[in-house]
Amino acid sequence: MKSCEWRNKIGLYVDGELEPAAEQAFTGHLQSCAECAAAVLEQQELKKAVRVAAKRFAAPPELYASVRKQISPRESARPWLRWSAIAASAVLLAVLSFAWLSRSSAPGATVAQLIDQHVIMLASVYPVDVISSDKHTVKPWFQGKLPFTFNPPELAADSPFKLIGAKLVYVQHSPGVQLVYQVRQHKISAFIFQSRDVRNEPSAGNQTFVVNGWQQGSLQYYIVTDAAREDTDRLRTLLEDANRS
Amino acid sequence: MAATVVARGNVSGLENKDFEMLAVPLLDGLYNFARWLSGDADEARDLVQETFVKSLKGFSSFRQGTNFRAWMYRILRNTFLTSRTGLERRNTQQEDEEGLAEISISQETPEVALIRRADTELVQAAIADLPPAFREVVLLADLEEMKYQEIAEALDIPIGTVMSRLARARKQLREYIIAAPGQKKIVGAK
Repeated sequence: MKSCEWRNKIGLYVDGELEPAAEQAFTGHLQSCAECAAAVLEQQELKKAVRVAAKRFAAPPELYASVRKQISPRESARPWLRWSAIAASAVLLAVLSFAWLSRSSAPGATVAQLIDQHVIMLASVYPVDVISSDKHTVKPWFQGKLPFTFNPPELAADSPFKLIGAKLVYVQHSPGVQLVYQVRQHKISAFIFQSRDVRNEPSAGNQTFVVNGWQQGSLQYYIVTDAAREDTDRLRTLLEDANRS
Repeated sequence: MAATVVARGNVSGLENKDFEMLAVPLLDGLYNFARWLSGDADEARDLVQETFVKSLKGFSSFRQGTNFRAWMYRILRNTFLTSRTGLERRNTQQEDEEGLAEISISQETPEVALIRRADTELVQAAIADLPPAFREVVLLADLEEMKYQEIAEALDIPIGTVMSRLARARKQLREYIIAAPGQKKIVGAK
């Protein structure tokens, strides 16, 4: 088999390590080289699979506590020194705090992100990744995309709820499911995450949307909607029953 | 005199409070990495604690402009390598610098489909099966999404070695996933 000159650049390309010009050339090359295109696709899938699977161990909460205790600053004898150092390092902090901000969470951050996800869904031309009223289509679509499994409830023919579809979402850097239901004129988002990844913030909301959260088994559930309270409670019961082991 | 001290503070580093803000958000990632390195929950916990203590002590020597995350991972890894498990690993580690391995390429898409539908447990088993030197490179590249330069700093190896290890690690992962018994059945059914 004739070896392609680009062949040893595939890893670099997939990792985004090529210079912009080379990357552009490689992208062009992919149009005409099925071999490289297949290999790139494969490497991308592999990267994705590793990313999901490797995020396996969460630090136990008590480790956070003990580390914080170990490193908590002692009161400085010269506070002005500390302040000047902080001011001087503002630039560095600005750069590094991007990563920090996106990882840490102020109380309510999860709720705010969930409401955002719900609003994005409402406003989007493509509100869901997988369109289906059938739970048997939705569940397999997530296979391999999530580090956990879940059961969408079976809806009776006369149920006021209709499944519209589902979407893969990231909240606080953790992958999860957004199931989208319609009840009368309202949309309801039901979110499911691994509970170790997302903070448990039971119920909150803003003027428009109500967030209702609970934990069941190893999963954390949230319902976000502007529908009536009874609807939220009913959907919650359906989800709880479907995921009882 | 005071001015000199402040000036040095500007150049060489930050204060403890800043350390906390920078380092604590890395804790989860460091712990996960430590678990994969050591394979043990208690050891991982100790490694992370030791890493924080060491890095706080050395924080004044951390220079602005260098990569804080890579620096933290480097301390964690060095701590691991001097631990008992780490020493055992060093003694058994095989040489792996054979240059870039050939990535076998296939035009067929079933492999892509196999990788795509491989379940999490299978991929985790494939990662666990990697030699440690390969595993850590893959974790930093694909999970922590570090650039090659960052990985080279964290692992204290040349960038060329990062590339060759990564290529070989991925080749091995791919083969493990594709050759898994359950996976073969899927191909056979086609």
